[in-house]
Amino acid sequence: MTPLSFEQMYQDEWAELEAMLTMALRRKPAPGVVPMDVSGARLAWLYRRACEHLAIARARSYPAYLVDRLEQLTSSAHQLIYHRREFGLARLKQIAVSEFPRAVRAHRWYVVTALLTFALPTLIVGVLVYRRPELILSVVSSETAASFQEMYSPSAASIGRVRDASTDWMMFGFYIRNNISVAFQCFAGGLFVGLGTLFYLAYNGVFSGALAGYLTDRGLSSTFYAFIVTHSAFEVTAIVLAGAAGLRIGHALVAPGRLTRRAALIVATREASVIIYGVVGMLVVAAGIEAFWSSASWLPHAVKYSVAAACWTAVLSYLTLQGRRAG
Amino acid sequence: MSARQAGRHDRRAGLSTPLGSREIFDNVVSVETPEGILLQLRPAGLGVRFYAFVIDWLVRLAAIYILATVARFMGGIGAAFWIILVFALEWFYPVVFELMPSGATPGKRAYGLKVVMDNGLPVTPAASIARNLLRVADFLPLLFGFAIVSMLLRRDCKRLGDIAAATMVVHEPKAVKRSTLDKVMPVVPARQLTPEDQAAVIALALRAPTLTEDRLNELAALAASVSGDAGREGPDVTRRVLGVAQFVLGRRS
Repeated sequence: MTPLSFEQMYQDEWAELEAMLTMALRRKPAPGVVPMDVSGARLAWLYRRACEHLAIARARSYPAYLVDRLEQLTSSAHQLIYHRREFGLARLKQIAVSEFPRAVRAHRWYVVTALLTFALPTLIVGVLVYRRPELILSVVSSETAASFQEMYSPSAASIGRVRDASTDWMMFGFYIRNNISVAFQCFAGGLFVGLGTLFYLAYNGVFSGALAGYLTDRGLSSTFYAFIVTHSAFEVTAIVLAGAAGLRIGHALVAPGRLTRRAALIVATREASVIIYGVVGMLVVAAGIEAFWSSASWLPHAVKYSVAAACWTAVLSYLTLQGRRAG
Repeated sequence: MSARQAGRHDRRAGLSTPLGSREIFDNVVSVETPEGILLQLRPAGLGVRFYAFVIDWLVRLAAIYILATVARFMGGIGAAFWIILVFALEWFYPVVFELMPSGATPGKRAYGLKVVMDNGLPVTPAASIARNLLRVADFLPLLFGFAIVSMLLRRDCKRLGDIAAATMVVHEPKAVKRSTLDKVMPVVPARQLTPEDQAAVIALALRAPTLTEDRLNELAALAASVSGDAGREGPDVTRRVLGVAQFVLGRRS
């Protein structure tokens, strides 16, 4: 068979496939291509035919334009047929209802490690700075320390940051940006065999501990703890979980098990990204609470602590209990 | 498993020479589909990805500037939206564009690039998020140092985020040009032609319109043995060689 007769024999099938692809992919029709209705079974059949023709054309060294045309047809159809669709509310619901808490439990030892890496520096530095407040200067500069003190002083109209009236919205944006960036850094640091994650977790732990110890020493503990206790249920948890996702990646690189390092990394990233979906959601909630609820200084502390207890209970029981039943 | 893999390697090794040599020159990554055919992906190198990055960077800068101008008229809420949008642009600008049907940010589209999975399929949301969040790691130690080293060292030009997310940035295949051959009288080949010879003669004929006359004569002289004109050169020889191409393609009159 010559290339021309080969083309002659099968070009109707190729044209049909081309027309269906144009329709299905909502492409601008190429000149001469009339879009047509798509039938799945017919499309799959035409695709397999085109695959056969491509194999034949390659094996017989048919001219480049024929091979290229068939390559393009098969690759477009391949993309259409095997495309994994993971969009939509149904998928998000599935992640929220079962996949995210399950992934967290499946990674519990990473979560514990990340928690310790964050919490131990917080406690140690917190106690140290509380005992000897001058140590705060080895963590932050004196101006920063002074501005912290000013922010959380009970006389400030709204606590948290020095701000003019009506800037709740602006702080909302600022918190989202800051906290999500910290969480993402903890995750990405996993690529450096987990060392980056450990560093960011410990660094943010030291910073939080120093801040808490310093403000407690200055006698601002009541405003400070009432401020952070509610949103930290989401924020600290999210940062620790992002760290756990980073550690999962780092561990896959150090100890890939029976896979190659590259394959282990790919598997780890895919599984960790379910946790990252959840982390992003929790951080958005945290930022909302931080900007509107935590900083409202007119609320009595009793109310704040009750709501905080409810939030912590909700978050922890969601992560430990949700999605245990099949479904 | 191992038998199947061996089979795959055989098949790859057994591909016709033009394809095999293209793999060497064009830096092609082959992916096998479930139907057993090899799709050719052409990874985009450091240079073109840098240009695409610069364009995306300028687009983002322009967007931030326009948003700031609008936000100034809206006071506190405006500033908040501005910060949120700047944040979203920072992290999710590439994700949103990569999940659109084109699979590419404006910068990548300008250079005909797109992001695909290792198996040639459109990028999944999870992979797109992972590769873009891991950009933080690529940025270290400074100015995308790790990304540049990784892309220069690897044949498939992946940065760290691409390796972990199993994605690849590839050149979009160019639209196929329907080549038309000038009408030349078909000539019966003077000897039996191997498939490689046939492919070479046809390729020459398809390229003929893009070559100058002298160069075409020169090249045709190299292939002159197919029409029994070995050792001679000139427009007549060229016409006869192109005639052989017509014959091999299947024209008989």
